[in-house]
Amino acid sequence: MIIDINFIGLIIASIMASSVPLILASCGELITERSGVLNLGVEGMMIIGAISGFALMTVTGSLIIAVFGAMLAGVLISTIFAFLTQTLITNHVATGLALTIFGIGISAMIGKNFVGIPGKEFPVLFEGLKDTIPLLGPILFGHSIVFYFAFALPFITSYFLKKTKIGLIVRAVGDSPESASNQGINVRLVRYACILYGGSMSGLAGAYLSMIYTPQWIENMTGGRGWIALALVVFSTWNPIKILIGAMIFGGLTIIQFHMQAVGVRIPVQFLTALPYIVTIIVLVVISRDSRKIRLSTPSSLGKSFHKDN
Amino acid sequence: MNTNLKISNVTKIYPGCVANDNVSLEFNSGKIYALLGENGAGKSTLVKILSGVIIPDEGKIYLNENNLKLNSPLDAKKNDIGMVFQHFNLFETLSVFENLIIDSDEERESLREKIDSIMRKYNFSIDLDIPVLNLSAGQKQKVEIIRCLIRNPKVLIMDEPTSVLTEQETSELFLSLKKFSEEGILIIYITHKLKEVMELCDEVAVMRRGKLVSVSEIKNENIESLANKMVGQNLKTIKKKKEKTSSDQLINIINLNFISEDPFETNLSDINFSVNRGECLGIAGISGNGQSELFQVLSGEIISDKNSIEFNKNYIGDLNPQERREYLMAFSPEDRLEQAAIPQMAIFENVALNNFKSSNFFNNGLINENKIKEHSKKIISDFNVNTDNIELKSQFLSGGNLQKLIIGRELITSPDLLICFNPTWGLDVGAINYIHETLIKINEQNKSIILISTDTDELLKLSDKISVIHKGKLSKIMNADEVTSEKLGILMGGGN
Repeated sequence: MIIDINFIGLIIASIMASSVPLILASCGELITERSGVLNLGVEGMMIIGAISGFALMTVTGSLIIAVFGAMLAGVLISTIFAFLTQTLITNHVATGLALTIFGIGISAMIGKNFVGIPGKEFPVLFEGLKDTIPLLGPILFGHSIVFYFAFALPFITSYFLKKTKIGLIVRAVGDSPESASNQGINVRLVRYACILYGGSMSGLAGAYLSMIYTPQWIENMTGGRGWIALALVVFSTWNPIKILIGAMIFGGLTIIQFHMQAVGVRIPVQFLTALPYIVTIIVLVVISRDSRKIRLSTPSSLGKSFHKDN
Repeated sequence: MNTNLKISNVTKIYPGCVANDNVSLEFNSGKIYALLGENGAGKSTLVKILSGVIIPDEGKIYLNENNLKLNSPLDAKKNDIGMVFQHFNLFETLSVFENLIIDSDEERESLREKIDSIMRKYNFSIDLDIPVLNLSAGQKQKVEIIRCLIRNPKVLIMDEPTSVLTEQETSELFLSLKKFSEEGILIIYITHKLKEVMELCDEVAVMRRGKLVSVSEIKNENIESLANKMVGQNLKTIKKKKEKTSSDQLINIINLNFISEDPFETNLSDINFSVNRGECLGIAGISGNGQSELFQVLSGEIISDKNSIEFNKNYIGDLNPQERREYLMAFSPEDRLEQAAIPQMAIFENVALNNFKSSNFFNNGLINENKIKEHSKKIISDFNVNTDNIELKSQFLSGGNLQKLIIGRELITSPDLLICFNPTWGLDVGAINYIHETLIKINEQNKSIILISTDTDELLKLSDKISVIHKGKLSKIMNADEVTSEKLGILMGGGN
């Protein structure tokens, strides 16, 4: 059997495409968590993004409005979370779980009228260059703008946290909100901003699913990707580059196990379906077991409410 | 240029407590001022008002005749008031440099030069690129001071700065503070340690229960007069009667080792010592040199080799704290609210916690509340805990009262050995005195104490024998009357 080298390229490209929503949502949640806020509502924010994007695309016909609208929807729903946890000082975990339940419910309700409607084609970039280089051509070219953004995001996030003043402030707030407040940093403002940013990235991840990856609306179409994104953040020890690795492994195994099922490998389907979850976590645990580095990158105040008393 | 800072009629009221009651004070640069008072006297509230952390209910603050509006720490910084808090305001996981630049708008490069020149000028040596959690307490404090100096402050406020420092670090700090003062920075020094006030300051203001009691020049005061002003009554000074102790060995530690998996803990190597009945062994050292690990190993929070601890002729190294208590050991850990008591539980519930087996607190798995309450009332009256409500959650007790409760809880079962770790940490003079008296009394009853403490004065006052722990190793055991605080300081720093 001759395997076309471009076919391998296409498989790799499809693996990358399937990891895009994980990268987007994880990198957003990473910023939120680095500021000390644990938002378990990623799944809910993603699904809201998915339905908002799809609905806006169908109603307005404009892809730009749809993409930005989905991000805005993520921002709006995360504002609820931010208001509850930062202004009313509710518990992060309970509020985040409620947000997910709320998101899944409301998306199903809005989505009723959009089931079965075909999506629109999303424009891809550099389509013509696809065949110019063997193997690398299909990997590098012919993808949507969101795809390129997602693969740049871990590096941008890493640079932002390490090299910029605002990144430093975010890390400081996550390390010790009390000290930050005494240094004159507005902890609540920083945390609000980080939560809303996380919401916008989750919204974008959802829009990618319903508008680009599988252009249609299916109820509950995020299918647990939000939870995987959350797990990636923790198991990557809050390191954006490791998120990229984890997301690729997860995406890769998901695609490969589909192919294995199709070929008819004699391994129980349940095991194959579980494989990506298990392997991703094992790999991330193995590459991040340096306890010194974990201590240095774990936001010390994660999940703890900060209440400034006067 | 002269700096004049004036506090005028400042009042701050919390529910159930007047933290500052109409306080007026005036400071001028060129002098070092002490603000002296017990815990809860209101001095921390006052300096938090000066640094913008707390907004006063009434009153004004003037710097060089300008009325300052200090609504946030940022306002204080902008008005050239620098503050080093008692609990460091540092970001442990960020590097020293990142900690220093976080509140500055200047370019990184020019800041680095500025920081370097400050460090050269005052002889500080700190690696700027390591995370703060790798620094010693003294170094962390220097980072805080540098952070203030970057802004060329007119006023520098130090809140209980020596509570975490060694003798040497303290004298280094005093030298720096004197230098700052000569350069025209107005220094306000908050403390409850009288010796330091006498050594460092020019003027002293004493606060008690939110009120300003007196302002005077140091040359007109002595330690006794200040102590009496601070406490508001005549304190009797206690002294331990040094008598020959028995040679009856109670506890013997034999080649005890502990290797931690956590890189931020200290390993213990080859610990050997013994304590006789009626004796107090003091263990000195700079915090973070293995004291908390040693305490945990001795108390059974960390289990070790069975034969490494011999207590009353039994080998108990592999027993947990509960089992060790049955052999009549008692423990008072360092962190009162985290390790010794459960803050959200009532006083009487906390009393029951260390006594699951050898008491009649429980019948067939049910709690015998009346017995426990009766017992708790006895502790409260015997050990002078200042409350009559045993249903009060223990988090609402002051540090001193909580410590008395914990020591009382441990001692009421009349153990043979009490192991305590920084028992007077953060307490005021009155409470410290009481705890010290209690500890001396135990020794007089022929019971033994292992006192792990970072307070050298306390160790010299209470111990019969002293050893120093440095990087997880104990120095040889010395007789307390042959030791001076200078000698301890050298050993604590790793010297000979």
